[in-house]
This record gives sequence, structure tokens and C-alpha cells, in this order.
Amino acid sequence: MNTIRVLAISASPRRHGNSETLLDWVLEEMRQDPAVNVTKVVLIEANVAPCRGCNACEKLNACINHDGMDILHDQIIMADCIILAAPIYCMSICAQAKALVDRAQVFRSRKYVLKLPVVPQERIGKRFGIFLSTAGQDWEYVFDAAIPVIKCFFNVIEVKNRDLSYVMIRHVDEKGAIKRHPTAHKEAASIARSVLTAMKERLS
Amino acid sequence: MKETVTVIGLSGSPRRRGNTEQLLDKFLEGASDAGGTCEKVILSTLDYSSCKGCNACHKTGICIMDDAVRGLYDKILAADCIVISSPIYTMGITTELKSFIDRAHYLWVRHFILGTHVITPEEKKIRRGYFLSTAGMDRDDVFDTAFPMLKALFNILGFTHCMGVLARNMDGYGGITNHPTALRDAYRIGNLAVKGIMAGMPCVERIKQ
Repeated sequence: MNTIRVLAISASPRRHGNSETLLDWVLEEMRQDPAVNVTKVVLIEANVAPCRGCNACEKLNACINHDGMDILHDQIIMADCIILAAPIYCMSICAQAKALVDRAQVFRSRKYVLKLPVVPQERIGKRFGIFLSTAGQDWEYVFDAAIPVIKCFFNVIEVKNRDLSYVMIRHVDEKGAIKRHPTAHKEAASIARSVLTAMKERLS
Repeated sequence: MKETVTVIGLSGSPRRRGNTEQLLDKFLEGASDAGGTCEKVILSTLDYSSCKGCNACHKTGICIMDDAVRGLYDKILAADCIVISSPIYTMGITTELKSFIDRAHYLWVRHFILGTHVITPEEKKIRRGYFLSTAGMDRDDVFDTAFPMLKALFNILGFTHCMGVLARNMDGYGGITNHPTALRDAYRIGNLAVKGIMAGMPCVERIKQ
């Protein structure tokens, strides 16, 4: 069995808060499998600046802004599964997560402007994504505005919609609140198992 | 009859003098021509950090980060009209604008938890908030995700969310100057905003809650 490469990005500005805990639960389950190799990135320590909107990537096929994204760019390409965990602030993903998502513009330019492959042809359709999120509000629609942004992000990094899974837990605000949530831990473990099973089928 | 009407224009684009900033300039030109006192703020030139989610403001109603955001929010709270412009990046507003909006959390706390920042419903009726945006794509849902954020912000700050200008398919038009109506609309809406506020009239074209 080949190694399954998982890139896990915690985008919250808060360390070990609710969304990162959700991520850790998913990773804990995935790590049970010896084939899984996890790289966890804490975004606030990764130095990713916002996109400047210069559109240079449409010509250069690369970003002119050199920072932590240089490494993350390659890690995103190499991974079989990309997990993004981000809390909802004011009805969408936190600004830190939006910075990362916008920097994926280089992938969008590659795919749609330059018509170049984001990953080698043989890996298309074999990439998986998980979006983990938490929100303080208890509104049913609290994740609605984040989802198109997330779909767009995963689309440009060549993860198909059908291979994108979600765990979104609302009404958890204070640090640690997720630990008292009745189903969050189970949902996280269950999504980890089902994505892993799907990956093994597809990657074999 | 209100004699002075202050209008704050916020540009959320990282790019200077691009499509959305041109829309903002037209709005402010229209507002000035109607007698408004206008100020334009370029978010990308300000020094501020993103919200750290520490929730310290939940007790005090004060943000522990003392940077450009606080003074700007004070100014906005004192204004009669706010107009915010941002392009759509990856189906959402820019990071600069999202970062600024996230920082309003302490005002949300004052409004909804502490009850120390209350703009009366009467005041809110007259105070107007507008959003100007452009998108490269031609999808009709391309602006949808921006609205819940703007709605929340305007609500926290006590502005009625009024219909601004949304111009999509910038990739097709090759820029805002080739769009048939957007710049003219921005001027007209800015002009009418100030006239309306001066007359003490609530805006007619509200964004539905």
C-alpha cells in the first residue's frame, strides 16, 4: 500500500480552539492507519499574506509574492487529501483562511487561464478534500456563505465536488465548547474513516 | 433638513485604482456633488491585524488590539453613510475587507451582549450603508456570499443596507469603464444617498432582510 499523504491546515487564529480540535479528531482517526502520513500546518504560523490582485500569475504561472505560500503551494499539489479547518467569523471563514483561499489564485490561473495541469493527469479524480468548520451562532444557515468559497478553493486545487466532505458544527463559541458537543467527535471520526476508505479504493 | 452629511468610502481592494475603486470614486463624486462631506479610506494602506478570536471583548466591549481599525470604526459610527467596495475573489470579498469586518466583533459584543452601543431604530432608518462590487465571472450568484457579511456589518454599525452596484463579467467587459451602466449608477446612487439623508428620508431600495 502506498502512502496516503494528508495535508491538514488549521486556519483559526486561536490555537487548540474548536475548529482545530475538530481537525485533531479527524487526524487522530486517520493516523490509526499506518498508510497515512499527516502534515499539519497552523496557518497563523505559516506566514501567508493576502493576494494582491496583481494577476501576474496569469502570465507567470507563479505568484510573485514569496512567503509561506511557496511551501504550501507544493504541499497542496503533493497531498492526496487536503483538510481545511476554519471557524466562521461574521458569516464566513475567518480572514486568515480567506487569505489562503485567495492565494490559490495561482492554481486558478494555471487551470483556467493558462490551461495547464494543476496535478498530473493520472491524479485527477484521486484527490480528496474535507472542510471542517465551527460557528458560534446557532443559525442553520451560518455556513451557507462559506461553502461557495470553499468549493471554489477545492475546485482550483483539483479536488472535485463529489470528493469533498464536510463537518460543520454550530453553536460552539468559547474555547473548548466543542468537547461538550453531543456528536462532533463522532462525526469527525466517522468522516475520517469514510474518506480514508474512499481514498484507498480510488488510489489502489 | 440635515445640513452636513458625512460619507465614508472604504476600498477593500488590494489593487489601487482598479474596477471597484473607480466605482467608489464615482459614488463619492455623486455624494460630493449633492453636498456630502466625503472621505475615502484605502484598507490596504492601513496597518491592522486580523481578529485573533481571543474573545477578550466579550467582557469589556473593547478590542485589545490598538491599531488603525479602532479609529476607523469610531469614524464610521459617527458618519451618516458608509459605502464599501470590494472585488469578488474566490466567490467572496477580499481578505482585506474580511479582516476589517472580523474586527468589528467588539462592536457586535457592545450591540448584542453588553447593550452599550445602541443606535436607535430611528437613526438606523436614515443612516445608509452601500456595497459596490465587481466580479470577473458572469455567474448570477457570484455576489451572494458577500451579502451575509455586509448585512451583519451594517446591522452592527447601525446602517440600513441599501442597494449599491454589483457589476459582474468584468473579464468579459475588460474592465469597469466598458460596463454599460455601473459607473453611472454609482454616481447616481451616491448623489441620491446624500440628498435622501439630507431630507431625512429612509432609502427605498433596501436589501431584504
